[in-house]
Amino acid sequence: MTSEHAFANDPAGKPPQVLLVDDDEVSLLLTALALRERGFDVTESGGGEHALQLLASWAPDVVVLDAMMPGLDGFATCARLRAMPGYENVPVLMLTGLDDDASITRAYQAGATDFFVKANQWSLLAGRLQYLLRASRTRIELERSQAKLARAQDLARMGSFDWRRGGARSGGSVLLSAQGLRVLGCHDNAPLGLRAILRLVQRSERRAVLRLLRESMRHNAVLATDVPVALHDGRQRIIHIEAEPEFNEHGHGVGYTGIVQDVTDRRVAEDRIRHLANFDSLTSLPNRRQLVWRMERAIEHARRLGHPCAFLLIDLDRFKIVNDTLGHAAGDELLMEVAQRLRACVRHNDQVMEGTLEAAGSRAHRSLEAVGRLGGDEFIALLPEIGDERDAQRVADRILEVMRDPVLVGGQECFVTASVGIAIFPRDGGSVADLMRNSDVAMYSVKSQGKDSSAIYSPQLAGRGREKLELESALHKAIERDELVLHYQPKVDVRSARMVGAEALMRWQRGGTLVPPADFIPLAEESGLILPLSEWALREAARQARIWQNSFDFADAIAVNLPCRVFERSDLIDQIHQNALNYGIPHRMVQLEITETGLMKELQSVIPSLHRLKDINVEVAIDDFGTGYSSLAYLTTLPISELKIDRSFVRDLGVTPQSSGIVTAIIAVARSLNLRVIGEGVESLRQMEVLHRLGCSLMQGYLFSRPIPADELERWLQQTVLPRRAPWIGQAAELDFGSPTPRAIAGRSF
Amino acid sequence: MLAATTPPPSPRPEFGCILDPTSLQRLHELDPQGTHRVVERVLRAFEASLQRLLPQSAQALRDGDHEAVRHVAHTLKSSSASVGALGLSRCCADIESRVRAQQRDGLAEPLCELQAEGQRVLAAVRALLPH
Repeated sequence: MTSEHAFANDPAGKPPQVLLVDDDEVSLLLTALALRERGFDVTESGGGEHALQLLASWAPDVVVLDAMMPGLDGFATCARLRAMPGYENVPVLMLTGLDDDASITRAYQAGATDFFVKANQWSLLAGRLQYLLRASRTRIELERSQAKLARAQDLARMGSFDWRRGGARSGGSVLLSAQGLRVLGCHDNAPLGLRAILRLVQRSERRAVLRLLRESMRHNAVLATDVPVALHDGRQRIIHIEAEPEFNEHGHGVGYTGIVQDVTDRRVAEDRIRHLANFDSLTSLPNRRQLVWRMERAIEHARRLGHPCAFLLIDLDRFKIVNDTLGHAAGDELLMEVAQRLRACVRHNDQVMEGTLEAAGSRAHRSLEAVGRLGGDEFIALLPEIGDERDAQRVADRILEVMRDPVLVGGQECFVTASVGIAIFPRDGGSVADLMRNSDVAMYSVKSQGKDSSAIYSPQLAGRGREKLELESALHKAIERDELVLHYQPKVDVRSARMVGAEALMRWQRGGTLVPPADFIPLAEESGLILPLSEWALREAARQARIWQNSFDFADAIAVNLPCRVFERSDLIDQIHQNALNYGIPHRMVQLEITETGLMKELQSVIPSLHRLKDINVEVAIDDFGTGYSSLAYLTTLPISELKIDRSFVRDLGVTPQSSGIVTAIIAVARSLNLRVIGEGVESLRQMEVLHRLGCSLMQGYLFSRPIPADELERWLQQTVLPRRAPWIGQAAELDFGSPTPRAIAGRSF
Repeated sequence: MLAATTPPPSPRPEFGCILDPTSLQRLHELDPQGTHRVVERVLRAFEASLQRLLPQSAQALRDGDHEAVRHVAHTLKSSSASVGALGLSRCCADIESRVRAQQRDGLAEPLCELQAEGQRVLAAVRALLPH
């Protein structure tokens, strides 16, 4: 039977399934016919027992039961059906007699959804069934949506509540949803008194919570607060309460309705984020951001209360070396140990409660005292209240003391000292920025005077000229920041047109500009920074020698310029050993250059080093030869290998006859002492030609190449020297061809 | 199969007052084409029901089983109304209400009338059914 009745509100579009139960065959037949005609899918059953059997294996959308049946009547059938699992809510329509009030009552008692007076009014019956089906669907959807809501609330650890105002003593009762009870860790469904709930609040917070509740109720205000609670099972949680007031018809507040939510996890995460934002993850000390905040607060308090406070800027003296030689892991280990030691030097406070800082008594600022890490190997100790600068000095002394103990990192003992700069509010500055800068000036003055000490800022320190100070300070950081580079100028043998070595020249890549050595080497020498710069240059040259050895079989030497005070250092030999070992190159691949002037000035203290260097096959060249006043007597005994003719003589070659006389003399000296000789600053083919004619075939200068970065030098070799493309190469060949072999270097083959 | 339009069943003149033509017409309208032989099936079901229930009512009267009497009356009340046996239906309704009101003494007379009217209806129904 096809249906003209579309069950539009049935989502599946399937005809609804009806179980029709009637013992009267005529009724059964007629009712079934009528319902089928109206689009129902009818299954007939002649009695209650039979119907229950059907239901055991199949669930219809609606059941129609005749009330009066022999055997199991409609009421009994309905009651049995309701007891079957899954049939608690299936709609059941009971067919009763017209004037049978008793049956109607019994029908409801048996669990029928509705009754219908048995008659041949099929359209009315069909309408009633459709209504029942729609109600049933709505109910199912409602149950689903309630289940979804409950699930969502459970996931959000949230539940709803309803609170009605009660008498002053009882506090009224709170009706919590099942989810709400779970949030509060309650398992029975008994309504909770407000007092019982308040008892969950942690004792220390109870008074404040009560005050807030009273305040909100008095104004019928929206309630939104986080409350720490201790649940019955002992768990400490943070419950977020959010509720709106409810009003009666007279506009009086009668209670609140809202939600409770367990926000402990979120709060823990928020605390973690706050910690990450304010603390250094390596050392757990306050970071720059937190330090600046504390310093600002400390200055505010100091200004208000009229006492001084101090900032100690602490910079480690040899951290870079540890990091470079033992690795970053060791560096980190060192920083952690240093952090521990520094903490012990002050009354360190990890946490500052912002609220207490504002509210508590006049000593609250003392909780700001801490050591923090600014970054790298820079720390700050903040002393929020001192009597006078002697207090700060005492803390600085303590810091220097604890730092002098060796630190064991990576199984090795390291000696790391510190340089401490002290700035005092208000004398040395009125703002965090001023005090930071001045503590930096003070710290830097310690660095330049040999480290491992402290200094209190004074205007005299700043009087050295801001620009110079800044330059010094920046140069100090240049090594750590990898701002230094070596450029290389090739040394060539013009006879064979080959590169026979290179001189390393330091450059400082500061911001976007390349600072030439003349602008910072004198400063570095003056401040003592020349020592770490030289150490770095030796290391870097060794590294580059290794790279070239790998890339084009470089077997000559890279020459590094060193000031005499480095030659005086007893650890120079150790460094060279260490570099050779680290980079796997022979010692002779790094050559040293010392100026003639410097050498003669400090001759006695340098000579022992020169001997030791010779012992380990490190060659030494005398730079700018001819400008100093060399004692020839000493020159004969010095363990040196090379003389470099000063560029001023080379420049004048072919211009003034005197210059060629001096050059000739130098070459003669070199030859007699069995030394190599090399001409510096060769810029023209003419100079090259004259030098060569005088017996010097080793040269360096712009004619061949400027000092250039390491990779450019490789390109220069590939594109200029090897294809024999430069003008000086052809010229040199001609010269060579036309002159008898002028061997400038006696006893050495090149 | 072509469903020829069958004419609505009308009781023969001698049974005219026994089966109500309007009710029969409504039955016919359930299946105007006669495709499902609805009228025949309903009438046969009713005939079977009568043949079963009439002897049951006689027995129940003899046994004094009022519940059985009530069941017969209740069942026949609605099914006889469905096929247009309005007299029989009224008779059943009368008996049912007497049983419910627990008027046990006056049941014999209406039950005799039920038997008599039942036999008349049975005859009228059979007259409508094809043999």
